[in-house]
Amino acid sequence: MDLFLQRVIDGISQGSVYALIALGLVIIYRGTGHLNFAQGEMALFSTYCVYQFGEWGVPVWIALVLGMGVGFVLGSITEVTLVRPISKKSPFAVFIVTLGLFRFLNWLDGAIWGNQQLPTTAVGSKQGRFPSLFPREPEDHFKILGATIRWERVGILALVLGISLLLYLLFNFTKFGLAMRAVASNAESAKLTGIRTHIVLMVSWGLAAAIGAIGGVVMGGLNGTVNLGLMFGIFIYGSAAATLGGFDSPVGAVVGGMIIGLVENLASGYIDWVGQELKLGVALLVIVGVLLVKPSGLFGTPKVERV
Amino acid sequence: MKSLVTIREGSAAHWAIRIVTAVLLVAILLWVPTKGSASLITTSIEAMTLMSAAMALNLVLGYTGQISIGHSAFLGIGAYTTGIMVSRWGFSPWVTFPVAFGVAFFVGVLVSFPAARIKGVYLALVTLALGLVFPQMLTWKRFSWLTGGGSGLPLSCPATSATRTCAGVAKTTTGFDIGPAQKGQLQTFKIFGHDFFGDLRRLDNKSAFWYWIALSVVVVIYLACRGVVKSRVGRSLIAIRDNETAAAVMGVNLVRTKAFVFGLSAGLCALPGCVVAIKTGGVSPEGILSLTVLGAITFLIAMVIGGAGSLWGPILGSTLYVFVTDKTGSWADDDKIPGLIRPLFGWSKISPADGIFALLLIILMFVAPRGIAGLWKQYSPLVVRVLPRPAGTGGTPEPLATVSATETTNEGEPQ
Repeated sequence: MDLFLQRVIDGISQGSVYALIALGLVIIYRGTGHLNFAQGEMALFSTYCVYQFGEWGVPVWIALVLGMGVGFVLGSITEVTLVRPISKKSPFAVFIVTLGLFRFLNWLDGAIWGNQQLPTTAVGSKQGRFPSLFPREPEDHFKILGATIRWERVGILALVLGISLLLYLLFNFTKFGLAMRAVASNAESAKLTGIRTHIVLMVSWGLAAAIGAIGGVVMGGLNGTVNLGLMFGIFIYGSAAATLGGFDSPVGAVVGGMIIGLVENLASGYIDWVGQELKLGVALLVIVGVLLVKPSGLFGTPKVERV
Repeated sequence: MKSLVTIREGSAAHWAIRIVTAVLLVAILLWVPTKGSASLITTSIEAMTLMSAAMALNLVLGYTGQISIGHSAFLGIGAYTTGIMVSRWGFSPWVTFPVAFGVAFFVGVLVSFPAARIKGVYLALVTLALGLVFPQMLTWKRFSWLTGGGSGLPLSCPATSATRTCAGVAKTTTGFDIGPAQKGQLQTFKIFGHDFFGDLRRLDNKSAFWYWIALSVVVVIYLACRGVVKSRVGRSLIAIRDNETAAAVMGVNLVRTKAFVFGLSAGLCALPGCVVAIKTGGVSPEGILSLTVLGAITFLIAMVIGGAGSLWGPILGSTLYVFVTDKTGSWADDDKIPGLIRPLFGWSKISPADGIFALLLIILMFVAPRGIAGLWKQYSPLVVRVLPRPAGTGGTPEPLATVSATETTNEGEPQ
């Protein structure tokens, strides 16, 4: 029972990282109808920036905000300079461009910071490990029903829930949120009513990248290191979460992320043959299963295709 | 658009151009293994492996418009079929090629069934997940009796078959041992005094032999792709790409066609996997980069840069990709960069090739979505324009209008 509870908490907390990536995907999908393959790599770039700020002695929470700022600028620039012009051509072209951006950002991280694990003494890092947002000493935990719950896990969960709440407030109770929802519902009509759709889309991409940056930093803090492959798996889990929750539903993204994290942790913990190797297989099965059975996901709106 | 020279299709001048091109191509292909340096041969083998995979991917992506970022898994299936059959069961590497094709064909057909319902970027997502899961499956402990787990398999005879002849595989070497040459005697094939095959006994000289294997695979895949694309099936693939609903309405069986093209593409993509396994002398999840998802992205980049939906595109793109990557491979070290462009790349801690190609890919999508092959098609008429044979003079009863129609749509941009 205690182990079960621990796995549940760990799973949900792990899933909340996926939820952050999924949220970014959903925000972009709602705005422009594209799946941003570079979402994970945009987050990785911000994560490397946070590492760099840490090297310069910036406290981790301030570094996080700066990293989010970098992500926001990166996302906005991407939308304005790449995605908007190319989306006039074809969805295939958008896919190729985001894939190219995926590869380019991954290379850029390697070009600036090298392809080794960071931090490392080999390049003279001042930090012993990647800065964690929450206390993570061995004694930073509490016991409930015999289960050992680490504060770090609870902190991450609280952070993600807090961000989700803020996003909920932004979407539903601000004028800008209304504009975003209008663009998501029908971009043409939104434009006719005087909404500056280009600004809405630009900010959507920026926002998505900034939220992804939090995911990257949390992941870096959990692992203690950052490397070029950090976000590959996370991106797939995040997409699985978005697929499960429904690509146009922010609530779905959060719930989907947590379900994926939970299933992944429980499956690898209790089903012997799943182990560490097949954890990604769980994500694959979820994606395929949901797309075949209910393509709109748990909370999404079914898509009607016009011929 | 004015052109310098205008010739008719099938005229003497047109045939002259064709023959000169073919002779040049054959000359280059013969020159590399006989007179080229060892590193040139190795790089050429790499290029041919990549172009084989890219051509196979082109069938699914370029012609049918189904996005796949999981073709690395099919290449991996090919590599592991060779690895397992040779090292576990002692088969000759030759036998593994058709078997690898069959296994990958089957898996490809399986993948096509969800793919028939999942469209566009969602399919990209599914195949990306497939590409990520595959290397992990190889290390799965339940499979390690077969795949050798994380450390992989060496491509040598199984230790248990000491009494068996171990059909055609040299026990100590990393690949083929053909012919009954005596120990210590060098076995060479000389044609017109040229040693095309290299010294098959010595490891450092085997590359010429591998070169021919890789080239045969490229030719087989090219002919297969050409055969499919110029046929009725090819036209239905293009119809699916351009408008799936319209294709179904016109009588294209979507499920069956997609199953066929996925299977064929997967099966063809397994063949370069066999070549890689033979050349590497073993298989392991980390040892062969092309079986990870980065490999699949590389196939895609090489294919799109060369020209999606054209027969020569993947060949051009892959050649460019491999030779530039090879040239810039040592550029992480600043002193290796030629002085003129050192300020451009000197700051990079890793080789700039990935960045160059990612940028090139993005830029090409804006200026030339059909890649290098598309640019060639667009601008080569400025120099020589080939007028298609006018209808009615071909001597065939078939109306030529349909032929020229397919000619134009073949090179279309995938949607």
